[in-house]
Amino acid sequence: MVFEVLDGGPQSTIQDVGRPGYLATGMPPSGAADRFALGVGNLLVGNDPGERYLVGRRPGSAGLEVLLSGLKLRVLAETVIAITGANLTAMLDDSPLPMWQTVRVRPGNTVAFRRPRAGARAYIAVAGGIDVPAFASSRATNVRAFVGGIDGRAIKKGDVITTLAPGRALGHLEGRRLRDSLVPRFDGRWRVRVVLGPQDDLFLEESIGTFLSYGWRLSPTSDRMGCRFVGPKLDFKPRPAYLVEQAGADPSNIVDDTIPVGGIQVPSGLEPIVLHVDGPSLGGYAKIATVISADLGQVGQMRPGEIANFEAVSTNEAVEALRKLEDSISEASLVRS
Amino acid sequence: MTFYREAVYRPLGDLYLTVEFGDELNLLLNFRVIALDTALRATAIPGVTETIPTNRSLGIVYDPFVITRERLVSQLKEIEQRMGEIKELPSRHITIPIWYNDSWSQECAKAHGAPNNLEYMAEINHTSVGDVIRAHAATEWWVSAVGFQPACYQALPLDPAFSVSAPKYPRPRKWTPERILCQAGKLTSFYPVRSPGGYQLLGRTPIELYDPKQQNRVFRDGPVLPRVSDRHTYVPIDEATYWQIRRQYEAGAYEYQIREGSYRLQDYLDKLAVHNRHRVPQAPGSV
Repeated sequence: MVFEVLDGGPQSTIQDVGRPGYLATGMPPSGAADRFALGVGNLLVGNDPGERYLVGRRPGSAGLEVLLSGLKLRVLAETVIAITGANLTAMLDDSPLPMWQTVRVRPGNTVAFRRPRAGARAYIAVAGGIDVPAFASSRATNVRAFVGGIDGRAIKKGDVITTLAPGRALGHLEGRRLRDSLVPRFDGRWRVRVVLGPQDDLFLEESIGTFLSYGWRLSPTSDRMGCRFVGPKLDFKPRPAYLVEQAGADPSNIVDDTIPVGGIQVPSGLEPIVLHVDGPSLGGYAKIATVISADLGQVGQMRPGEIANFEAVSTNEAVEALRKLEDSISEASLVRS
Repeated sequence: MTFYREAVYRPLGDLYLTVEFGDELNLLLNFRVIALDTALRATAIPGVTETIPTNRSLGIVYDPFVITRERLVSQLKEIEQRMGEIKELPSRHITIPIWYNDSWSQECAKAHGAPNNLEYMAEINHTSVGDVIRAHAATEWWVSAVGFQPACYQALPLDPAFSVSAPKYPRPRKWTPERILCQAGKLTSFYPVRSPGGYQLLGRTPIELYDPKQQNRVFRDGPVLPRVSDRHTYVPIDEATYWQIRRQYEAGAYEYQIREGSYRLQDYLDKLAVHNRHRVPQAPGSV
């Protein structure tokens, strides 16, 4: 027993890299909304950071994904943790908890997140990784499908969190931190790269231009399933009459097809929605573009009211960005202070 | 053109692509999707990690560090060219009891300011509620896609003469009770868990098609029962039978009615030919 939950906050969930392989059953992969942050946290504390999102076969160790402020834990056993991702004013008792580095915590300490400063989701990685039963080989929580984590739900007051045995002696983990140059700066202006398609051809060309030039504001109606963006209306080309019966009366309706994680659907041309890690696998609205997998974490770190600019890249550029991101989740990115 | 001459390959970011055969709801399109899925699984292209059949397209997840998109597309085109006609598909038949026009559906429609959905469907199809239910229960349904959320599925009628159509809600509902069967156009779908939605509500089943706790042995291999190429028959039950089955289910005593088997696609083509002889020809361009 390592932590007792004193306050669960608005939504804290146990996550790893996720649960690929079940998209054809409608089960989303889930997993950390910011794969880089949880991966680095796990590396710092000597855990398995897991393989790549969606196409890897090892989900890695499980940590806690903390949304905004409010989570409060009491430490029950000595261990080493690392806080990564958003700066939510993490505190160890009355002192600020340094981020992106290992910290030794002892029984009686409390870990609390007081106020969001930059980013939306922080991660707590703990030596050994969180021990909950794996469901379909992953511990990732999906609260809508009632699977993973503790009973398929967010953690709440009274829960006790246990860990697996750490892979290394705690003493060896002390003083490890991420190189300064690799620590993400969340400044509230977000550049999100996309590959246009699969249905960009249904939108008016001016609307594609609008989509790629406007500063889109994240709506409060956003979660791990989908992030909604507020901005100008996007318009569709005229379409053949048979689609009214086959797909639906709204010009944004298509005959349902696959929604990728990162797919951006635009129901009725209003408020593009980036479908995220808990998002649906199938749907009937035109998708203008897909957020590249390397930038899903950027979207996951946005807070309502912040602005994103979508920038079109090629599939090859997206693959290179992914390679760069994945390469950075490695021991070579860590230093000893 | 609703049935493309050549499949369209669309990128979905860096980890997915989709092979699209058309843009209508048509069983023949779905059979092609399943044929490609079957052929692709038999070939096992390194780097392909998942396939996601939909009504009209096959979603493919791949590892771009193992196979480039260009190489994958060219291999898929090869498979497409050499895959023969599929004559028969493995297909389970599942019998699902439904309390049509149940009290939850009625209450949900009322709470959203909508008329009784079955009465509304009867009205716009110029028939009676009884006939809408009889028609829905008379045809077998082919599960053509599973997705949106776990165990949510779409199914098309295997009887080409099935003619009851249902429009979507003009404004989607905020919630729908779990285990509700629904219809839009001629597509039957299902809400496994409480969720928003815009399909017309048909009725409720006392049995689960999604069980994350995997208590009944039909969920031994996974929490989701429906699979693409399953066939469903919906059996109308009354309120008393609904509760009797629900109690059985909750006691762990319900026996799912599942028959392993296969489906000959020619059976559908034959029915389609008979149906087409008896109706006004369709506009050119459609199949």
